[in-house]
Amino acid sequence: MFNRILDHLEEWLITFLIGAATLVIFLAVLHRFASTIPWIQDYTIKLDVSWAQELCIYMFVWMAKFGAAYGVRHGTHVGVDVLVRALPKDKAKYLVMFGLLAGALFTGIVGTLGARFVWDNGFHYALMHTLLGQDVGDLPEGPTTPDLEIHTWIVYSCVPLGSYLMCFRFLQVFWRFVRDGELPHHDHGHVEGVDPLDETEIIAHGPTAAAGQGAQR
Amino acid sequence: MNTLIIFVLLLVLMLTGMPISISLGLTVLTFLFTLTQVPIESVALKLFTGIDKFEIMAIPFFILAGNFLTHGGVAKRMINFCTSMIGHWYGGMGLAGVMACALFAAISGSSVATVVAVGSIMLPAMVKQGYPKRFGAGVIATSGALGILFPPSINLVMYSIATAGMSVTGPSGQPVGSASVGQLFLAGIVPGLVLSFLLGVTTWFRAKKFDYPRMPRASWGERWRAFRESVWGLLLIVVVIGGIYSGVFTPTEAAAMAAVYAFFISVFVYKDLKLKDVPRSLKSAAAMSSMLLYIVTNAVLFSFLMTSEQIPQAMAAWMTSQGFGLVVFLLLVNVILLAAGNFMDPAAIVLIMAPILFPVAVKLGVDPVHFGILMAVNMEVGLCHPPVGLNLYVASGITKMGITELTVAVAPWLLTMIGFLIVVTYWPSLSLWLPHLLAR
Repeated sequence: MFNRILDHLEEWLITFLIGAATLVIFLAVLHRFASTIPWIQDYTIKLDVSWAQELCIYMFVWMAKFGAAYGVRHGTHVGVDVLVRALPKDKAKYLVMFGLLAGALFTGIVGTLGARFVWDNGFHYALMHTLLGQDVGDLPEGPTTPDLEIHTWIVYSCVPLGSYLMCFRFLQVFWRFVRDGELPHHDHGHVEGVDPLDETEIIAHGPTAAAGQGAQR
Repeated sequence: MNTLIIFVLLLVLMLTGMPISISLGLTVLTFLFTLTQVPIESVALKLFTGIDKFEIMAIPFFILAGNFLTHGGVAKRMINFCTSMIGHWYGGMGLAGVMACALFAAISGSSVATVVAVGSIMLPAMVKQGYPKRFGAGVIATSGALGILFPPSINLVMYSIATAGMSVTGPSGQPVGSASVGQLFLAGIVPGLVLSFLLGVTTWFRAKKFDYPRMPRASWGERWRAFRESVWGLLLIVVVIGGIYSGVFTPTEAAAMAAVYAFFISVFVYKDLKLKDVPRSLKSAAAMSSMLLYIVTNAVLFSFLMTSEQIPQAMAAWMTSQGFGLVVFLLLVNVILLAAGNFMDPAAIVLIMAPILFPVAVKLGVDPVHFGILMAVNMEVGLCHPPVGLNLYVASGITKMGITELTVAVAPWLLTMIGFLIVVTYWPSLSLWLPHLLAR
């Protein structure tokens, strides 16, 4: 149950972020154009969209972190599989297991480093001061971002969150591999939604159809 | 000694089959934990700041645009247009395939997207016309590689990112700036056109030799109709390339505009993509770009390690002290890259190798832009031969041919490409002529 909610949340988040980032940049460019047209200019000039680029970058970094976790579950991450495929199955098994645990180790370390960074850069202050209303002494409040002026610890928290999620995914995949011997595999050569037969039918109705039949005769 | 440890560790980790991004990251962590004084905290920050640059965001946008174009019926109409123009020549559909790949490459940034988009329509159609399967597969798998040479190209963006901000010096010690995305895109046009022409010539000769079917000449009315149908897709070339060079957009903005435009024509003009399928396209584009961005992040960490250990500088010094000239170095680069192409994904190769080779190349007097194109052509060759040639796997997915059979099928075109690679390597003006012309 918990897993299913997490899966959906992850997919929903990356879908939303890539769509929203595209929209933000599109609107920012439109705004720049509109600002060169005399009548509309008067209205658009009042809107400040200088934060658009920054927002787009943050959305994509968040997408990259959570998308990477999604990628572990779906096997999109590319690796060098020459040796794994050359070895007999019972030996390759240990190599795969090592690889998955190494992934969990790396993401775990990085997540912890990121969490410490976020804690020292304002999360500690925010927790104590804003939430609990305690006297914080000389804890640093932490810097803010240049355009959006939000606390950087909020933005940077994608590193611990995304990395821990990725770590969890690696362990999940590892567990399933040990139990069922199955690995998620993303076939980069697979052509999604394109059925060859279907497409030939479409082309048969195009302008080349008549020509095609002519050539066969 | 440290250099040796780093590379051996990286190689061993990679061979276990773990994701390339993880093996890069683990190498850096191991090294930092044990052998240096660099504060480990800087790693966490680097994981964020490594990709917080607006130029990098061109990658997800171009992937999204490519995703919409692949499923949105743009390729189909381009193919019809190409077939109506040159289908009556020898090997007509093959030539039309090359032309369609070149046109589609000019609106999408990836080779695989090009092979998928053009191949999934063209290959079944060619078989129907009586072409042998292997001929069609050979043409499309190799022509699809044009995707990373013609602008926009995700690979060239990667090269620009990987080398940006490096302080490198030329042969006489003067500082040399790295190549911008705009310059690289411009430089890719002429070599792209030449390669399309060469692939076309190869196709024509093979078709003539084996007397493959030709199509009846289309009337000018049919051509006009095919052109009008495909014009929405062709306009995207104007939006992206025209937009960047007229200074209207930055490359990243152009990529975002391309994504919105591709969405618009796929859903509202051609109506081949249903609105309810859009979230799925978004999701798969997000997954693909996250994978690439994750490699970028870790490659940034890796090149940070390289720089702090002064490895490229040491290599450059060794090269010059051995008296290796430009000719030998470029040959060596080609061999290394082609060898790496046997094991790794192009994006990963560019991100790992560019920061290492770039300073050496510049030291020996190679133009940064020329070097980027050279790497791109190398990646193209790598995409078309086993064991990891992604284009082959895509073509195999469409045609249900085995990889071994496909390897034989692509041979004539692959040889053409290798010949072309030598020309690109030793004739810099081919890549540099257009950027220099427009810079003046």
